[in-house]
Amino acid sequence: MEELVPVVCPWCSVGCRLYIVSVNGHPRKIEWDYDHPNTPNKGKLCPKGVASYQFTISPDRLKKPLIKRNGKFEEVSWEEAIRYVAQKFKEIIEEHGPEALAFLGSERCSLEDNYVLQKLARALGTNNVEFAGRLCQSSNFVARSKVFGSPAQTNPFEDIVKSKVILVWGYNPAETNPVLFGQYFEKALDNGAKIIVVDPIKTKTAKFADIHLQPYPGTDLAVALAMLNYIIKNELYDRKFVEERTDNFEELAKSVEEYTPEWAEKVSEVPAGMIKRAAELLATGGNATIVLNEGVNQHANGTMTALAIANLIAITGNIGKEGVFSGVIPGAHCGLCAAVPGVNCAQLPGPVPLNEENAKKFSELWGFEVPRKPGLHYQAIFKAMAEGKMKGIFIMGQNPARSLANSSLIEEALEKAFVVVSDIFPTETTKFADVILPAASWYEKTGTVITQNRRVMRSFKAVKPPGEAKPDWEILVMLARELGVGEYFNYSSVDDILREINRAIPALKGATPERLNSNLEGCFYPCPDEKSETPRLFLNGFPTKTGRAQLAPVKWIQPGEVPDEEYPLWLTNFRQVGHFHTGTMSMRSKSLIKRWPEGFLMINPEDAKALGIRDGDRVRVETRRGSLVVRAMVTDRIRKGVVAMPWHWGVNFLTKDDAIDEFSKMPELKAVTCRVTKEVVE
Amino acid sequence: MSKKIFIDFKRCIGCRACEVACEMEHGEARIRVFEFPDLTTIPFNCRHCEKAPCLEVCPTGALYRDQDGAVAFDPLKCIGCLMCAVACPFGVPKIDEVNKIMDKCDLCSERRAEGKLPACVSSCPTEALKFGEINELLWDREGSFVSRLKEARERGEKEPIYLL
Repeated sequence: MEELVPVVCPWCSVGCRLYIVSVNGHPRKIEWDYDHPNTPNKGKLCPKGVASYQFTISPDRLKKPLIKRNGKFEEVSWEEAIRYVAQKFKEIIEEHGPEALAFLGSERCSLEDNYVLQKLARALGTNNVEFAGRLCQSSNFVARSKVFGSPAQTNPFEDIVKSKVILVWGYNPAETNPVLFGQYFEKALDNGAKIIVVDPIKTKTAKFADIHLQPYPGTDLAVALAMLNYIIKNELYDRKFVEERTDNFEELAKSVEEYTPEWAEKVSEVPAGMIKRAAELLATGGNATIVLNEGVNQHANGTMTALAIANLIAITGNIGKEGVFSGVIPGAHCGLCAAVPGVNCAQLPGPVPLNEENAKKFSELWGFEVPRKPGLHYQAIFKAMAEGKMKGIFIMGQNPARSLANSSLIEEALEKAFVVVSDIFPTETTKFADVILPAASWYEKTGTVITQNRRVMRSFKAVKPPGEAKPDWEILVMLARELGVGEYFNYSSVDDILREINRAIPALKGATPERLNSNLEGCFYPCPDEKSETPRLFLNGFPTKTGRAQLAPVKWIQPGEVPDEEYPLWLTNFRQVGHFHTGTMSMRSKSLIKRWPEGFLMINPEDAKALGIRDGDRVRVETRRGSLVVRAMVTDRIRKGVVAMPWHWGVNFLTKDDAIDEFSKMPELKAVTCRVTKEVVE
Repeated sequence: MSKKIFIDFKRCIGCRACEVACEMEHGEARIRVFEFPDLTTIPFNCRHCEKAPCLEVCPTGALYRDQDGAVAFDPLKCIGCLMCAVACPFGVPKIDEVNKIMDKCDLCSERRAEGKLPACVSSCPTEALKFGEINELLWDREGSFVSRLKEARERGEKEPIYLL
């Protein structure tokens, strides 16, 4: 029987709706959803969305639970696998305490899956529960929470179209979120908006730019400081907004006194005149959309840059009204589904900070004592593992062996612990697993998503899982029962879990299963009751102590590494439209891998000439951590002194793990130094 | 009047959603995005010419014009003689080496029969691909050009070029 099943696209966080045409539980094709004009994509899809079920039918799918015995994986029954994991976890808890266990949640799994995961970790007595958001939006998350009291995207996408100026910082929406770019950014340009892009690479977004600033990677902080300096010194800021709705303006003004555009030119090599022009346009051009992404976040000085940009947003008055736009842009469709239910070592569902008051509240709600001691953050979990202190880990839909900085070190750490991975494919991480559990992929389960625009939507089961694969929440519930905490996990469907979430998180109280199942367009979080939703935030004030935005003083911080004689080039990395993160899914989609087949190195013609490299040559890219061989793409789309690679092909063998942002614990992923040599084939 | 896919290549971001959509629909992509080093990207498919040379030289009548004006294709009549490929100034018809017949865009006949847009147009995130009565699309474009010309003049810009 053929049916049209409504789903949400499983790749980026725009939250596009589409249909899977399913025949007896097998996907036949996709169909564009033009029936719901209020969904973010209005029917449109990018190539990943169009090809989105290809990976689910890949022959590589994990179909049976596997246990590693004598170095080999053996197929076992679910009962045996779960019993084995539970027994090992119990032994670890008895010998080393619950804090020797860690749980990784996933931005690839639903709100319900993540909620159950963090609850299980806490029921066992540990707050070592993290997900890759730490490597994603944590910098901007920290910065915006400090200034505005909440990191969330402020306005619906429709407000981008109403903006007159768009500042895109370290972000390439034309490749990262093509639907968002085409449906909203380009339409703003149609209406005469001006666009400023800050990126060392001439990206497909920069093609549309009126002003394109190309700083060295990791030095955009200097540009942001100089823009603050110029706007304040020339009194271009929104005086009324600053007076009425912000605090600490004087401290901010004082902190940026020395950072003139001329100083920034020396640090970043962006001409001072261009910084001034950009600052002037931003401050005087009208309502602005100000977005930043991993190019800002993934730096050891990322929080400071994000803080400077948050200040820019505040002093130009581009927040808390209609027609402006800013906020975090999670990389994956369910980034917020992991962040909101508190998959974080220092937060509880809400997300609310882990403190005595909140821990008490959740202890009452859940019926067990919530551990009070904060857990370890993502990179620290693996550091503890390498030191032999972290004995066991449950990894749900994550690939830390490739997504964390300095991959070879992570691989060493994984070898030392009892590793359980639930995933849909064998990954670089499952190689180090002791038990592999086959999970159902996105289209094979019903679940709730929260998109970057804070829209809560339901995606339905369209496809039968292969073999014995099961949804992650079911796996976790089985494990909980075997571990003796089953009484707290009495769920028989995702709706049961969502109803508990409705009670646990006040802002999601109105996102009931009934509402989401009947209204495919979903609702804007926070939705405190079944009738209401919140498309625009901060209209009447900020969730800070004074109700006003807290401007924060900023200062210059050096990037983690700067070029020297030994490693003379900056190395940064970027995302391609056809691939997603470590490629676990996209590299198994035949239409995508065919078009985006391999990694490469972008290098400026001048640098290439000096090194004797021609277009298409094989080159070795070497940093202090490791080296990779790729083909060179000689192009003036990248500035001199910088080289760049798409990060899907093991670039994290090269990145730096020991320079970590002091506020957000973000490793230096986007700016390291390297040397490039031509690879001679013997 | 005939319906066409009009290409507004300035909107294109080269994401190749059209290629993948076409490939998912027909097994092989009949539209291709060409990329240039300066980042210009141009998606290109059959133009469904009003005076189509391929249609005129087809010896078996495999190529025909359908009710929407598309140069459509009957695979059962095709003998793979390549005459259409020889005649096409754009190099659009390609040979399907498995079935020994030609393969070209038919503006998704099956989807149109169900009242849907061609797959590539359905997908295109930037609306660089537009499907409709061709002169209506062109009137829209002319209208938006003129309104920008007026706006530019009102802003006092001297040379309102590069407006498309």
